Amino acid sequence: MAAIESTPVRAGATSVPCGHAIGSEKWRGTELAKLLQGKVKVVFEDGLGLVDFHLSNRTCILYISESDLVSGNAFRRRLVRFRKACNLNGIVIAERTRLSDQYYPPVQNFVVLELGMALLPVTNQKEAAQLIFHLVQERSREGNCNLFIRKKSFQLPDASVLQTVQKIPGVGRVKALQLLQHFPSIQKLSNASVAQLESVLGRAIALNIHSFFHTT
Amino acid sequence: PIRTTPCILADTREISSGPEVISYLRTALGVKVEVCSLAGCDYIVSNRLAVERKSQSEFANAANRNKLVDRIQHLQHLFDRVCVVIEKDRVKPGETSRIFQRTRYYDSTLSALISAGVQVLFSSSQAETASLLKELALLEQRKNTAIDVPTEVKGHKQEAMQFYLSIPNVSYITALNLCHRFDSVAQMANSSVQVISDRAHMSAQKAEELYRYVHYMFEEEMVPPENPTK
Repeated sequence: MAAIESTPVRAGATSVPCGHAIGSEKWRGTELAKLLQGKVKVVFEDGLGLVDFHLSNRTCILYISESDLVSGNAFRRRLVRFRKACNLNGIVIAERTRLSDQYYPPVQNFVVLELGMALLPVTNQKEAAQLIFHLVQERSREGNCNLFIRKKSFQLPDASVLQTVQKIPGVGRVKALQLLQHFPSIQKLSNASVAQLESVLGRAIALNIHSFFHTT
Repeated sequence: PIRTTPCILADTREISSGPEVISYLRTALGVKVEVCSLAGCDYIVSNRLAVERKSQSEFANAANRNKLVDRIQHLQHLFDRVCVVIEKDRVKPGETSRIFQRTRYYDSTLSALISAGVQVLFSSSQAETASLLKELALLEQRKNTAIDVPTEVKGHKQEAMQFYLSIPNVSYITALNLCHRFDSVAQMANSSVQVISDRAHMSAQKAEELYRYVHYMFEEEMVPPENPTK
């Protein structure tokens, strides 16, 4: 136990091969381990400390059972120690059952809001196995597969700039194009004097545009 | 920093889909909720954080996949941080609560969200969602990113607001900040990245995007021809 205490997170477990997971020895032979078999290649190792499973890509899983949730705060200390010990991404999986349901909201506040970790509820080890399988899959995919990762759009902003200029009161598409021919950026347009604007459009609209930029 | 009551912006559509969230925030939790037309965003909790509220059945339905992906990507462009609250469906009186069937789609969607850095919270009711929103707002307040501009825009400033909102990747709260923190649009357009970032409470990256946009040299040839049906 003393050895585990001194190494909260095993060094070297940060590079796990694709499709694999390193599991803590204590999970060997459990229902969860059996359910994972054939889906995820789990290598069991001693001395993972606070972590239950290491997934590839600097992510690891900390598991909170129903009885952990019900019996009090020991798991909180474990999570805090993990958070302090390393900067791996910690995903906490918690057994949210009928029995432990009432304990879930404060735990969620603690884990997600205070510690800034992810917390995912499952009702049993079967669901946990399914979830871990998907987490491993997600992490072993090639780069750009994740649809939720913001992609840079390569669109040139010309069409948007034209739209933006049309938001100036009294300026439609035709006037916006005329203005941008003479003052090609929003910054240049904003600095145009009334006289300069008047040379492109009429006096009244020139005054309007000038006052839009300088009084609103 | 002085602790004031947090302020949250709610989309107008939430009045019909989440009326209890809004009334609970206002009456029981004492949060200032401003209902605005946020166009594609349920709640704005701070200068950088948007919250998307989804019922569990809606979230778990694979038919909604594309809609969810579009929505989250849209939010990722507008905000530095995105949070999804998955809320248990309400059981109507007389109805027995349905047992939720966890599917592969559900688990893979959760995994993808987590891996994309989207925060995921689970709620069992609209009241609980309201307290989660308040907690998020308080947390953002502690990190000095709370909404601290007037949420109403008066007179000609409304025109500036529409102007700012037409800029790509400018969120409603950013537009509000730009409106209230600069004396004029011209002043904003002539500011440095640093000044824009400081005054409008934007990340350096977002401020730079805005700066580039304002200085971008327009070329008519690059605009696709006007769509006659539009």
